[in-house]
Amino acid sequence: MISLLGVDKEYDGLRALSGVSLSIEEGEIFGLIGPNGAGKTTLIRILSGRMDPTRGEILFQGEKVEARHPGYRSRIGLVPQDPACYGRLTARENLGLMARLYGMGREEAVPRVEELLSWSGLMEHADRQARHFSRGMLQRLSLAMGMVHSPPVIFMDEPTSGLDPEARSSLWELISRLSGEGKTVLVTTHNMEEADHICSRIAILVKGRVREVGSPREIKGLLGADRLELRLENGAEGALSSVCGRLGLAWRREGDLYVVTGENIPGKLPEVASGLAGSLRDLHYREVTLEDAFLRFMREVGE
Amino acid sequence: MRGWTALFIKDGKLILRNRLLLVVLVIYPFLIMGIMGAAFYDAGRPVPLGLVDLDRAEEGGIAWLGATTDEVPALERRFRYRAVRVEEFGSCEEAEEALSTGRASMVLAIMTDGESPRWLGADLTADQVELTLEDVREASSMRDYSSFQEALEPRGGERNDLVLALREKEYPHIGESIWLDKESYDASGLIMRFSSGVAEVTEYESEEEAREALARGGIDAVIVLPRAFVYRLKALNETAIVPVIIDQSNLVKAEFAETSIRGFLSRVKDGVAEEKMRAVVAGLYVLVTGGDFFGTEVVGLGQIRENLETIKGALADRPELAELVEGGIDLATTVIEDIEEAADYLKGTALPVELDISSTAGRTLSAKDAAVPALIALSILWTGVLCGAILMVVEDEEGMRERIALTETGPLALVGSKLLLATVVVFAQSAVMLVLAVAAFGVFASNALLALLVIAAASFSCIGIGLVIAAFARQVAAAVIMSVLVSFPLIFMTGAVYPLSQMPSFMQWLAHAVPLTYAIDALSGVMLRGEGLADVAGRVGILLAFGVGLLAAGSMLARRRDAG
Repeated sequence: MISLLGVDKEYDGLRALSGVSLSIEEGEIFGLIGPNGAGKTTLIRILSGRMDPTRGEILFQGEKVEARHPGYRSRIGLVPQDPACYGRLTARENLGLMARLYGMGREEAVPRVEELLSWSGLMEHADRQARHFSRGMLQRLSLAMGMVHSPPVIFMDEPTSGLDPEARSSLWELISRLSGEGKTVLVTTHNMEEADHICSRIAILVKGRVREVGSPREIKGLLGADRLELRLENGAEGALSSVCGRLGLAWRREGDLYVVTGENIPGKLPEVASGLAGSLRDLHYREVTLEDAFLRFMREVGE
Repeated sequence: MRGWTALFIKDGKLILRNRLLLVVLVIYPFLIMGIMGAAFYDAGRPVPLGLVDLDRAEEGGIAWLGATTDEVPALERRFRYRAVRVEEFGSCEEAEEALSTGRASMVLAIMTDGESPRWLGADLTADQVELTLEDVREASSMRDYSSFQEALEPRGGERNDLVLALREKEYPHIGESIWLDKESYDASGLIMRFSSGVAEVTEYESEEEAREALARGGIDAVIVLPRAFVYRLKALNETAIVPVIIDQSNLVKAEFAETSIRGFLSRVKDGVAEEKMRAVVAGLYVLVTGGDFFGTEVVGLGQIRENLETIKGALADRPELAELVEGGIDLATTVIEDIEEAADYLKGTALPVELDISSTAGRTLSAKDAAVPALIALSILWTGVLCGAILMVVEDEEGMRERIALTETGPLALVGSKLLLATVVVFAQSAVMLVLAVAAFGVFASNALLALLVIAAASFSCIGIGLVIAAFARQVAAAVIMSVLVSFPLIFMTGAVYPLSQMPSFMQWLAHAVPLTYAIDALSGVMLRGEGLADVAGRVGILLAFGVGLLAAGSMLARRRDAG
């Protein structure tokens, strides 16, 4: 749907993006994760035509595009990090304004506004001034405003930043629905749980470079592994070696903890437990999270 | 106490590390005083004045004089009595023709309410002309005019009941000179000499021409020297009334001009009075000492008293006669003492010059009249700049700039829509101020409708400044501070605080780069100087051009900012 080919961006001699190449497929929710200053917002600004890349190209549906071109801009939607709407306008007025700014006539704008109010769950609050909304409601309104002109592609810059769990969950649901409606979503986030939960694919951006791309499962598999944490009676190391050797698992000691890693640990768990019977004081299985994988990756790359 | 110290130090650091606050608190006083210093560094520049000398007689020219008096019938009777034959004319043209062809040497136009003037003409001798003028002068105060129309409808003065016309060349005592410090001066020469260093005087052919220069702002006031000005200065029993037209639409400028004119005319008065007194006192002493008393050889009272003393001595044996002579000596002594006292008294009196100040508005303007245009213009600047800047920066604060940039609406529409809305708001606010000033406080506005046009153009241009400021601010608070930083110095550069004519040339140039200068001048013009659309069209055009230019600059800056 949308691709970046070798995109560089330099500011005042500093390189914010370096050879970024990505391809985002139609209908997928693509997550861009990375530490602060990694270049996520710069990438969103380039993709939304607010900034020109120093080098590189953007392809939209296979064709090279100028991101500032109105024809391209009309096919993208933007949801900024902070909810962007006029506090002294009602939700309905904010949406109506956006519809007019996108050139819609009244007969087209009114049903679209009603549709979005319903879609975002704001119909009950449609005639309240936005300044009285909670942050979660504001972010839903902001998302609806980015959707007014029905763009096939939506860029979202850390949309759940500062939201409470309930509001975050509500917004995730909306984003997931977008994908169901065939929209392509690019979302930047610090929240690994969010990326793991809603994104079909993820790219890790560090110091302006794309370091890894893949599904959350692939990234987790690539950068981390499930682990079994054991506490054993003294002198049980021999039994542990024997069990692990038989099952094709590796073990190491971390303080008073024995950590077992390897393939299909859940399936091998009964055999491990029976092999260590009598010596086993405590057993804890930990599935690797995206955050674990990301932190591990960051440690590996020296961040 | 530790808490106080810690907070004190913390706030000091915050100020030092906040560039905007630092500018406001530390650099701003230097900026303001720098502007004031630049404005005042050449203080005491000569005030530009215009001079019209009606004493310069023109061949074939006609002198018009107007008088407001209840004694018109008596004056007419005396005129008819003096003339051998009185001719009646049907119109001003006929009367002028009679004067120019010599059929009449003097014409009287007698005005009656609601009726056409009655024209009488006669061929009088020079003495008769002078006597007739004296008659009128005794009955009322007379003013000189350059045309009948002007005498018919005097600006800022009472309606004349009687208008006299005579050939300029035959106007008694016209073009006379006066000797001061061994040099001879005519009327304008006198003004030029005494205004030197105080005013920069430009002489104009007619009052109309001088008024035009005043309206254009080339001069700050016009002095109209009446006919026979020098004669009246010299005459012992005359006061020379000098009409002065001042642009009172700018209080500060008007005050400077009036003070300057009063200053150098006071020097003229002192110089002439001194000469006059010297002559009179010398003459009075001649009465005491004997000799030439203004052309007549007289025996001095001192000599008479001496002679009486001698006679009294010779009458020692006739005490009754000696007593009579003694009475004569006492009388002579008293008269001599009175003459000497009168001479001393005269030295301290004599006021030969009186100013008759009128405004370009055709009426005397009060301080509130003159203050309102500048107040409205300043209000337009403050609210316009603030309104323009805040409306733009709100887009940033609401986070909408980025979003709008993606729509079909470009930066020109974003900035332009704010310019139009703010113009409507500021215009409405200023219009309310104008209506309140006129309706509730009786402020003079000669053309309120045209004032509204100027207000609209001024609002348009001042809001543009705010739109440009907005390109450098991200929060409303910053925009407000920057608006104040920019607006406040502009006020000092417009002539609202100190007359432009008193500022150095480069400050005058700078003033013309500030829309407020044109706004104040145009608003004063239409409200106070009676200027029409054609007069202010140029300044309104400049204000609109400023608005368009600032809109373009604001849009360009907004585009650059949106582009990151």
